[in-house]
Amino acid sequence: MTTPTPNAHKGQSPAEAVRLSSRHLLGIEGMSPLEIRALLDRGNHFADHPTDGNSVALHGKTIVNLFYENSTRTRTSFELAAKRLGGSVLNIAVAGSSVKKGETLLDTATTLNAMHPDILVVRHNCSGAARLLSQHVDAAVINAGDGRHEHPTQALLDALTIQRRIGRIEGLTVAICGDIANSRVARSNIHLLSTLGAKIRLVCPPTLLPADIQHMGVEVYTDMESGIADADIVMMLRLQTERMAGTETPSQREYFNLFGLNQDKLNRAAPRALIMHPGPMNRGVEIDSAIADDVEKSLIHIQVEMGVAARMACLEAISLGAL
Amino acid sequence: MTVTRFYNAHIIDPSQAIDGIGYLDITDSHISAVSLGQPATDATCDKKIDCKQAVLAPGLVDMRVQSADPGAEHLESLATLLAAAAKGGITALACLPNTRPVIDEASAIDSLCLRASRIGGPRLYAYGAATKGLEGAEMAELGLMAEAGAIGFTNGTSAIANSLTMRRLLAYTSMLDRPFIQHCEDPDLTEKGEMNEGETSTRLGLIGMPAEAEVIILDRDLHLLRRTGGRYHVAHLSTRAAIDAVRRAKAEGLAVTADTAPPYFLLNELAVSTYNTAFKLSPPLRSEDDRLAVVEGLADGTIDAIASDHMPVDRDAKTQPFGPAAPGASGVDTLLALSLTLVHQNHITLSRAIELLSLAPSTILDIDGGTLMPGASANFMLFRPDSSWIIKGADFASHSRITPFESHPVQGVVDMTYINGEQIYPVTALD
Repeated sequence: MTTPTPNAHKGQSPAEAVRLSSRHLLGIEGMSPLEIRALLDRGNHFADHPTDGNSVALHGKTIVNLFYENSTRTRTSFELAAKRLGGSVLNIAVAGSSVKKGETLLDTATTLNAMHPDILVVRHNCSGAARLLSQHVDAAVINAGDGRHEHPTQALLDALTIQRRIGRIEGLTVAICGDIANSRVARSNIHLLSTLGAKIRLVCPPTLLPADIQHMGVEVYTDMESGIADADIVMMLRLQTERMAGTETPSQREYFNLFGLNQDKLNRAAPRALIMHPGPMNRGVEIDSAIADDVEKSLIHIQVEMGVAARMACLEAISLGAL
Repeated sequence: MTVTRFYNAHIIDPSQAIDGIGYLDITDSHISAVSLGQPATDATCDKKIDCKQAVLAPGLVDMRVQSADPGAEHLESLATLLAAAAKGGITALACLPNTRPVIDEASAIDSLCLRASRIGGPRLYAYGAATKGLEGAEMAELGLMAEAGAIGFTNGTSAIANSLTMRRLLAYTSMLDRPFIQHCEDPDLTEKGEMNEGETSTRLGLIGMPAEAEVIILDRDLHLLRRTGGRYHVAHLSTRAAIDAVRRAKAEGLAVTADTAPPYFLLNELAVSTYNTAFKLSPPLRSEDDRLAVVEGLADGTIDAIASDHMPVDRDAKTQPFGPAAPGASGVDTLLALSLTLVHQNHITLSRAIELLSLAPSTILDIDGGTLMPGASANFMLFRPDSSWIIKGADFASHSRITPFESHPVQGVVDMTYINGEQIYPVTALD
């Protein structure tokens, strides 16, 4: 049985709850197009019915948000999604916890495991941390971002945002711009959008380009204007300020000049091109404020809204267990 | 005076180009005769051992071992290290200076070697730290350490980054006639690195260390070596470019030797795909093309020796995300069997394997061993090259049980190990 749900790809009928082939949601890489589409359909349903009265998927279940990196957006989004599905949410804040006292990831996991949570939502600064955790706890694990590796729910919410606005993903040209090397958002989006048939371009300075990424089926540009030419979606990534201090790039000024998104550069994209950003934004560094706030072009706020819906679909699917 | 005869043995001794069924006589602690064929008379023997055509070869000389003792005895004591070596057919091993305290002065060399000799078993030799505290800056007392028995000098698991320091070290060690052992890895290019750089590191989101980091240091050192003279040894070669550079340097006549370790000719970077930290090694597992180059280098003589690269690490250091997990793995238990894979895959002959594991390292380090020549110390081992087993870290004699070869099927079982005519493995003497 490989079809996640009977009506996953029909689109029109109300999407049903999804079940995945894996017990955990650790990354987009390896997920089938059917699974992804089913999650998007279910997310779409939750976007239309954010407080779906019939949904009690997480009733009586405990969801632990274990965040080793600061996050407001993703953590609250998961919390809200879990609560809307009737679950109990426990947030483990890193500051002041035993993590700061030298306890290892797995000691913490063992401790949490003894409390028998149903789902662990984990964010960690090390690539592979979510997978490691999944091997040592009884709970199902959702990766809320692991190092530079993957951020699967971000890619799902991005796809849901695009799907709702444009109606399709297949055949679109998506330019992902900025710090690709250090971005888990970029990797998950490359996997997801290319799995669903979009054409991916990466635009960044060579110092922020990871090795051999062309093998992941993307086109690479170091010139922003040609990179976003005729693109349907321009997805901007955050660049940490310390990477603009003469290390990866010479300065903020130069970065904005070459790789920041302003109206001039945007004019090269497709006429109705849409702008996305996973947040938090460095206004004036990677994106001009006027563009970020342009409701006609910018999907940035819709992304946040879709975050809750996409995560509801994920939490529900994971709570149902693997097929 | 006691004479023991080992007959009906498959004698392999690359130092005398012997490879065939024959016998070996030992008289007390030394080899007194070795020959192909059946012995003419056995009247003079006190004891005879039928080797049943098992291979009898010089004991292995493991030229790259990290001892956790002193300083981290919870990982491994000298006693378990030596016991594991004996079980692995190793009769001599050379320890890196990166213990705590660092072996950067004569008394530390003395202390380590003396403690090992009290335990008995395989002979332990020590490298001296090239720089004080292994910090890569001030030259350590190399001359005094050489007098105390240091068999070579190295900065352990890091390269000498400063070119001037390196030039001086090569020049100074040339006076002492000891090899300089370099871990070729440019520290800047590999800063914060987690695995080999390439598509796999990109997919996994791990920080890549480019293969060029190896050849950059190597090439610099070769240029310096032309000026300074001296003997230069490259440890655990892992990349095609560096192997090519060693090949060219040898053709040019530079005094360069090199070793590698089993992970670099048996595994590649794809092993890291599941973030299994047992595959986190230093240098990192490389591309398949690099692995093939290592195999070629072993076959054509560019790489002189195979070492275990034994590095005691415990579960705590490995049960972590890949980035912060410690590099390294256990090696002495599996050195012979893993190396014999090259023989079973027809890349090299059994005799060449023994040369790589025994004769070459003892020649490079100028230490006793590597030969069954009459008059030499009776350091040898008996093994069945075709007997198969499955590697299980839990069964290691070493206290360090982390191996990248967990569940790996191998062939080659050591039956007996002898040092100076004394059986050190199995511990219960056979009669």
